[in-house]
Amino acid sequence: MPHSRRDVLKLQAASIAAAAAGLAPGALAQPVEGGVGSLGISWSKAPCRFCGTGCGVMVGVKEGKVVATHGDVKAEVNRGLNCVKGYFLSKIMYGHDRLTQPLLRKNNGVFDKDGEFEPVSWDEAFDVMAEKCKASLADKGPTAVGMFGSGQWTIWEGYAASKFMRAGLRSNNLDPNARHCMASAATAFIRSFGIDEPMGCYDDFEAADAFVLWGSNMAEMHPILWTRITDRRLSNPHARVAVLSTFTHRSSDLADLPIIFRPGSDLAILNYIANYIISTGRVNQEFIERHTTFMTGMTDIGYGLRPEDPREQAATGAAQAGKMDPSDFEAFKAFVSDYTLDKVAELSGVEPTQLEALAELYADPNVKVMSLWTMGFNQHVRGVWANHLVYNIHLLTGKISEPGNSPFSLTGQPSACGTAREVGTFAHRLPADLVVTNPEHRKRAEDIWRLPPGLLPDKPGYHAVQQDRMLHDGLLNFYWIQVNNNLQASANSSNEAYPGYRNPENFIVVSDAYPTVTAMAADLILPTAMWVEKEGAYGNAERRTHFWQQLVSAPGAARSDLWQIMEFSKRFTTEEVWPPDILAANPDYKGKSLYDILFRNGNVDRFPVDELSEDYDNQEAKEAGYYVQKGLFEEYASFGRSHGHDLAPFDTYHQVRGLRWPVVDGKETRWRFREGYDPYVKKGAGVEFYGRPDGRAVILAVPYEPPAESPDEEFNLWLVTGRVLEHWHSGSMTMRVPELFKAFPGARCFMHADDARDRGINQGAEIEVTSRRGSIRTRVETRGRNRMPRGVVFVPWFDASQLINKVTLDATDPISKQTDFKKCAVRIEPV
Amino acid sequence: MAEATKEHHISSAVVSARPEFCQGVAERIASLPDTEVHYVAESKIVIVMEGSSQDAIGGRLTHIALMDHVLSANLVYEIVDSQNLEESCYAALKA
Repeated sequence: MPHSRRDVLKLQAASIAAAAAGLAPGALAQPVEGGVGSLGISWSKAPCRFCGTGCGVMVGVKEGKVVATHGDVKAEVNRGLNCVKGYFLSKIMYGHDRLTQPLLRKNNGVFDKDGEFEPVSWDEAFDVMAEKCKASLADKGPTAVGMFGSGQWTIWEGYAASKFMRAGLRSNNLDPNARHCMASAATAFIRSFGIDEPMGCYDDFEAADAFVLWGSNMAEMHPILWTRITDRRLSNPHARVAVLSTFTHRSSDLADLPIIFRPGSDLAILNYIANYIISTGRVNQEFIERHTTFMTGMTDIGYGLRPEDPREQAATGAAQAGKMDPSDFEAFKAFVSDYTLDKVAELSGVEPTQLEALAELYADPNVKVMSLWTMGFNQHVRGVWANHLVYNIHLLTGKISEPGNSPFSLTGQPSACGTAREVGTFAHRLPADLVVTNPEHRKRAEDIWRLPPGLLPDKPGYHAVQQDRMLHDGLLNFYWIQVNNNLQASANSSNEAYPGYRNPENFIVVSDAYPTVTAMAADLILPTAMWVEKEGAYGNAERRTHFWQQLVSAPGAARSDLWQIMEFSKRFTTEEVWPPDILAANPDYKGKSLYDILFRNGNVDRFPVDELSEDYDNQEAKEAGYYVQKGLFEEYASFGRSHGHDLAPFDTYHQVRGLRWPVVDGKETRWRFREGYDPYVKKGAGVEFYGRPDGRAVILAVPYEPPAESPDEEFNLWLVTGRVLEHWHSGSMTMRVPELFKAFPGARCFMHADDARDRGINQGAEIEVTSRRGSIRTRVETRGRNRMPRGVVFVPWFDASQLINKVTLDATDPISKQTDFKKCAVRIEPV
Repeated sequence: MAEATKEHHISSAVVSARPEFCQGVAERIASLPDTEVHYVAESKIVIVMEGSSQDAIGGRLTHIALMDHVLSANLVYEIVDSQNLEESCYAALKA
């Protein structure tokens, strides 16, 4: 019997946790909503603002401030659980250095690139910004202006940005930081299946018999999904977990098959598995005959470096890196037969018995396999190939598009899928997988956006790395960055990124909530409303679109990115930015502002403010005089409805905990391409990869090719960069949470004790990490959570005081243009 | 609200570990200040943490999440208790 009130409360807390863990019967009460600590707090749903998992949280607001968050038991993704970062969500908006006013570099009362930041009004900020933008347009045309966004943009923010840049300024120089995150995954989806994003969903976690992590450390980066795998493994003795990585980390603790391979050799391991499946007679012949087509990829495709780099000059296939030629099963079989057990064991450094055990998981027709990957595959100079090769082994065995058989690309940002990919904020994309290079696609966008025909530009713009290079070279002169810390995230930043920010020819605008490294290198900083300070929508890794309401007001003059784009668009007339011939042929568009064209177009402004919820504020809608978020969403959704990307009506998403698209007749789709689950599959087809005209998925023959840079005598260690549990990405939010900061206050270099000893370095000593590009000082860690093999070091990149990207190499996958942050050569010396 | 109310956080979490390590992990967690182990099942441990702030709870959860042999540690429930809510709390619990 409990003795005190606190004992009662503790028992209640424990029983709810036990119910969440499946240990105790009884209805699972939504915590807090009916709980005793909730008095005076109003609770609303929202998706978490951190990783791509897309957990549902309940957000508690008291006296205009977010005071608490907890896992939402009604959210299918996390079922009431909340990871460490999610627990601290309520604190991310209240850092002491939150930006609340526009700041412009000035001297003697006027803008001066070498001046100091001074507070200015929004009007003055936009005046200077518009002047600079118009000057760049007049000087070099639309290719001289650009924007860099994010997979943290809400759906309508990314959509508004895409309209503003492409239709307004007529520039495709729009790219998201998702380029650094999952461009390789997105590219391989389009190349293999003709349609982006995973076929499966998180329900696969409870249906799979085996989980294979390819370079992913889910225990630290996707803790809630890792908990689902842990539960499956520990409550089902037959379940197996394989963890492949270039070093031992916390996910290895659960692994039945912990495999450490040499950086880059994953390509060879994947081809070995394909060889093993074929040579042991376990190909699902019926599946490959009915549902797949074989192709051969271009080889020797270079490393996405500047064209004058000798490695690009030498690469014979670089000019046609993405080329695929038709082939057949016999040619594929012969191709992968080179990847023998002995050869691949030698190349990868993995024990042959481990390779066989791994291959058997895929080959055994009775084992349902879920493959999972994130940055290990995607931040890879052959990232597109790595994605293809994992699809190859799922397709050869037919282990795809059904519960538990699931190649699953995880994401790192909350709306990498929902915004960057589905809205199409990449330099070559339009909404719903349309592309700027296709005249039919451009016409469709022009029709929906009510634009004059022929207005939209047809050439892909500069991708992320190219934007840095063009800023550096003075060809991209007006640059607006929203919701991300681009400079901290850019590889080879001292040589390729920072000089572009300070190039006197360029004007750099950064919209952010905090004075990040990027903001401090800018000319104008715009203070941004974040997360629940605005109405929003994200799309997670399993195609789940989910919404939230504005729950609190942004501090001071901070305003959402959507508001900023809308307001800025008022400062341009069509005559200033569109070609005279288009206006001459379409005189109705003369004399209008871009705001009129993009937002007051009869679509975006068609829902009145009386449709707003009475319970919540909505700063942008009330100021605009119409429900702008709803208008943007409905216009955007019209791209994908009846085209395999169906979204539910806007209002539905405020009622539910998200739905996985395509949502057809009110029903979400859990497994795409499989009859019975996916309404787009024709009756009797069984499986249909309808994204491609022939309905078949591609099995691609591509080889192992070495990384852009490998250790040598001078730079004798591999450098791998990445993340830690406590900090999300560049740390701009989590470093402002005192306890997360205290838990991991500064980056360290994880290193094998023998490698340290050979260099005369003791645990904890200060060291210099140096590459051909630059160096940083940090401290060495030979113990702790990451256990390095000899010859490989790991440095997390969250720490703005130790910018490891001064050291990394700006090599990319030549097809996806995604940077490889996982493989370059360094030397380490004691300081 | 009364002034100078002292916050008291009571939070529950689920920790998982391989069955062979579960008991040892539970003992190490139980030895932490203001932390109780309520259930230990096959591979799951239900704990309750108390502290004067969200920072204290979150810091301890982070510490637990990174303990040897801990596979995952996630928060489930939190009550922010303050003395002036005492009567209402009882009412809510009875309801």
